[in-house]
This record gives sequence, C-alpha cells and structure tokens, in this order.
Amino acid sequence: MSETVLLDPGSERDPSQREPRALPLDLSGRTVGLLDISKPRGDVFLDEIASLLEAEGATVTRFRKPTFTRPAPTELRQDIAEQCDLVLEGLAD
Amino acid sequence: MAAESRYILVTKRDCPTCQLIEPALEELALSAPVRVFNQDGAGFPATAAADVIDDSELAGSWALDVEIVPTLIRYEGETEAGRTEGWDRSAWRALTHLNDLGASLPEFRPGCGSLTRDPGIAPRLAARYGGGGLTARRIDLAPLEDAIETCYERGWSDGLPVVPPTPERVLAMLAGTNRDPGETLGEVPPDLVPVSIEKIAINAVMAGCRPEYLPVVISAVEAALEEPFCMHGLLATTYFSGPMVVVSGPLARRIGMNAGGNALGQGNRANATIGRALQLVIRNVGGGRPGGVDRAALGNPGKYTFCFAEDDDPAWTSLSEDRGFARDETTVTLFAADGVQGIVDQKAREPEPLCRSFAAGLRVVSHPKMVQAADAFLVVSPEHARVFHDAGWSKQRVTERLHELLTIDGSELVQGAGGMAEGLPVKLKGRSLRKFREGGLTLVRAGGSAGMFSAIIAGWGASGEIGSSPVTREVKS
Amino acid sequence: MHDINDLDGRGIAGGFVASDEFRDAAKAQGDALGFHARAIYVPHPIQDRTDEEMKALARKAFPAVLDMLRQGQEQDAQA
Repeated sequence: MSETVLLDPGSERDPSQREPRALPLDLSGRTVGLLDISKPRGDVFLDEIASLLEAEGATVTRFRKPTFTRPAPTELRQDIAEQCDLVLEGLAD
Repeated sequence: MAAESRYILVTKRDCPTCQLIEPALEELALSAPVRVFNQDGAGFPATAAADVIDDSELAGSWALDVEIVPTLIRYEGETEAGRTEGWDRSAWRALTHLNDLGASLPEFRPGCGSLTRDPGIAPRLAARYGGGGLTARRIDLAPLEDAIETCYERGWSDGLPVVPPTPERVLAMLAGTNRDPGETLGEVPPDLVPVSIEKIAINAVMAGCRPEYLPVVISAVEAALEEPFCMHGLLATTYFSGPMVVVSGPLARRIGMNAGGNALGQGNRANATIGRALQLVIRNVGGGRPGGVDRAALGNPGKYTFCFAEDDDPAWTSLSEDRGFARDETTVTLFAADGVQGIVDQKAREPEPLCRSFAAGLRVVSHPKMVQAADAFLVVSPEHARVFHDAGWSKQRVTERLHELLTIDGSELVQGAGGMAEGLPVKLKGRSLRKFREGGLTLVRAGGSAGMFSAIIAGWGASGEIGSSPVTREVKS
Repeated sequence: MHDINDLDGRGIAGGFVASDEFRDAAKAQGDALGFHARAIYVPHPIQDRTDEEMKALARKAFPAVLDMLRQGQEQDAQA
C-alpha cells in the first residue's frame, strides 16, 4: 500500500505543512551551537558570528562535522541536542 | 427507442459467463453503441463492434458501482435507464428491446463477482476515486518522507510507532461501523475540539485497531466525553491516572479480547489497541499531551493503553449488569485508573480471611490514612473467585463485606497518627469512616486459571462529584 | 538541511547559513524531506575570500542570523 497521503488525525488547527520548531524570543542565557560543516573559510565566518552572539548574551558552543559531504554523525547530533538550545549550521556554498 | 440508447457492459475475461455472452454482445453492438469495461486487462472481449476499454484500474467499474460481471447498463442520454446482471436472456431482451437477442445461448447463467468487490479492494478504490465520505485534511508526503517518521515528527505518536493513517486504511476502518463518518460525538478536551467518527477511525488506524474494534473505541470515546468522567481534569492532573477501559459482554469475546491469562498485560491486539486508540484521540484531537495540559508528575504505563475484557463468570453478575445494563449487552466502562497493585493470598479457603486480605490491600489505596478519596477496581482472579463461589457468596456480598472491613476508626486516620504528618483533620478522631465512597469500589472478574493473586487498580484521588466517576456506555454497531 | 531536520526532531530549533548558490538545492531538498529549514543566504563565492572579507560578510549577515534564531523568519542577508 502506498503511503503518500495521510489523513490528519488531529484538530487541523495547526498548519498542514510541518513547520520548524518555535524559537525563543530572546537569546540571553541560551546556548547556541554553531555547527561548522567543514568547508574552507566557514570557520572564519563562524568565529565572527560567535563573538557577535556572545555580545547578545548567548553562550556559544562550537561543533564541527567531519565532512561537509555527509550528514552529521548521530553522536554529534546527540551532543548538540544535549548541550544546546539552538543550532546554527554553516557555511554551505 | 432502442436506437437512441447506448450501453455499457462490464466484464472480466476470468468469468465464464462473460465469455459465454460474446455473441449477444456482437448482436447488441449492431443496434446501438456499446462500450465495454473489462476488469482484467486488454484484449477481451475480442470484438471490433464495441468500444472495449481496459478497466484493470477499476475506475469505471467503481464509478458504475458494479457488483456482478457481466453487468449490462442501458443509458438514455446521460441517464441510466436500467441494468441487468449475469446472463438472463429474458432480462437482456427486456432491457434492450431486442427480442431475438442471444438466441443461441442458454436461458440463464449466473455472473461472477466484480473485482471491485474483492476483499480489501473497496477501501482502496474509495480512497483513490472518492465516495468514502472522508473529509479530514489530507497531508501529502514528500518523496523522501517516511510515513511512520512523519507521524512522529508531527507529534501524532504516543512514543510507539503508529500505523500511518492512509485514506485506504481509514476507509477500511470505517467499514467497522454503520455510523456516518461525519457524525460528531462531542468536544474532546483539553482543546474542546469536535470529534467525528472519521477522526476516531483515523486514530484507531494509528493505534493498530481492526475495523471490528471500532464500535468499542467509539463507545469508549463517548464515555470519556460524558461529564461525570471529567476527562479534562483527569488529563490535566498531576496525579498518576488515565482512562482505563473495561469491556463487558459478548462482543468482547467475539472480537477476541483477552479476559484470561495476562488480561492486564501485553500481547492481545484488541486489548492493546482499543485502549491506545482512546488515548490517541485525546492526544491528537483534544491536544492533550504530556508537558502541555497533561501535568502528571509521574504518570503510569497504562497511559499508553489500559484496556481489558471482563471474564464471563456465570456465578457472579457481570459489570454490565452491575452498571444497569443487561448481561447480553456489551458495554465499555471507563475508570480513571492508576497502575496495578497485586494482592497475594494463597492460604484463604473461606471468604472471610480472603476478604480481610483484600481489605488490607485496599486500605493503602492513595495512602493508608486517606478515605473517601480515590475509588478502586478490584480484579478478582479465578482462583480467588472460586473461594467465594464455593461458599455461595455473591459479588454484592463480597463488596459489602469489604466496605465493612474498610470502616476505619478516625484515630488511625488523623494527621500525626502513626507518626505520619499526612492524614485527616484531628477533629475527625472520634468518627468511624469508610475507606471508599458509596459506589467507589467495583469488582470485576478476569485472569488466568492458575494463580492465587488478585489486582487492585486504584483510581484518581479526586473521585465522584469533585473529580471522576466510572462511566458505562453500551457498544452499538 | 538533514542535520537541521534531525535536530528539530530532537527539540533543537535553528537554521543554516549558505551561499546563494545553495538556494535551489535547499528548496529541492526541503521539498523532498517535507521540511524547509530556516535559512540565510549570503553572496557567493566564499572560498576565495580573505579573512577580513569573511568577517565583514558575517557582520553583515548577523542581523538576519539574530532574527532567524529569535523569531524564525527566513531572511535574505544580501543587501
């Protein structure tokens, strides 16, 4: 049986498209994970973003994928989920 | 008149009667336009006289609502003017006004079943071509999306995988009830969202129900929405409780529910999925989720599913009877339940010592010093029930004796007594108080034939008018 | 995109920064996954830039980064 269409089991009050998770109003006191995808020059960009985020009151934690060619390993994703409130990934070109 | 008519004939090659009538088709096609929908592929019937269409996708047969092949349908303009099924020479002649039609054929041959009527096909065709009465919002999955993962991501799961609710599966589920998919039963807390039979069917699919369980699920939802059950408060409480479903009566056996060994445990599809479907309706339709309105401090594993059947015990009244229904009626009873606490008594051979063991176990519901607070169910196993049966004790007599044994001197219950701060106001010291309110203790029979153990299922601390009372509904098809 | 999708499912909101060459690929990937992550696009190319140019790019993109992490509106950092 094909499973390309599902019927909504719920109230239908939420958007039918899956929306990204809601964001906080304020970064102060939040931990932002910066995930470097390991493309050249991305680290310089993220260094600058990190210091700007810290100036906004956020705590910044840095992570780095082994390679930009593949999704992050599960363990790395677990680390981010454990340590961070938010994540910013870059820099893809 | 015949000259203005046109015809549609539905056939399948696999049907001997369809092969038999080929000469009649040739004759008919000489007098009027005939279009043939063949259900099992191209190349049949092999006639140049008619317009033969490969209907192996069954779109045409479905739209024509054909039950038997061959079916001959006559149209006047766009209007159906009549149809006949199988080969009945006089019926074909009457329909076509061709008095010599099929002269070389036998008088009568029955037809064969249309492929649209094959098991499991109708829901798929209804989902594909419409006609099932479904109105729920359709969610299109992207090419790389896994349906089960999507159900998780959208928050539709209780933590375990759900069966993806495709239109085909929902239509198959709806075949389990005669009720209109659009019928609304009431508003589900906490968000007070109207719930239709269709939404219940969707959640029943997700829970893993078979269509024959759907009437039980519907009744369970109806019971949950009754005011005395207090579903909103039960969901929102910091206490452990969630809805427990007890099914009593003949349908429980017919749909294969377990009232015997491991009745309160895992492994029976009906028990497992009916209770889960109710929880999914509250989660998905009502919006009741842990961390949201569900504020349980600890919860209990029965909040995934908690459903079992009552054993049929001729020596005792059934739960249906105790709740004011006939024994041969199937009912669902909902109870705001915590987990299961066992009572062991492998020595008692008379009712009195066994009642005393039960009472000692029941005394600790919520707290040994709390009275008139939580209700309780006592699930009496066959080996314990036998002690009462042998002595001729009815269920009512056991219940009354338990109430007597659970009438407690206030001095044991007040704050500070026994070195425990918890307790009743000190002014109640001179009173004698019953552990359970009137109607607050319910006995049912279930369990396997070996094991001198019964089960206490304690209820929500807020019972009766301040909280939840057990609610019973008849199951209707 | 896969990472942000996965982390969203783990309860971590966020987004990604990419050069505008990546815009069509992100759209296609998002369509296929049924999930469009929040994104900020900066001007291509990246890899031949000096450190000063990269820092300037980051400073210019930062208001959009801030908006993305606080409000979730997709921003275009290109002015």
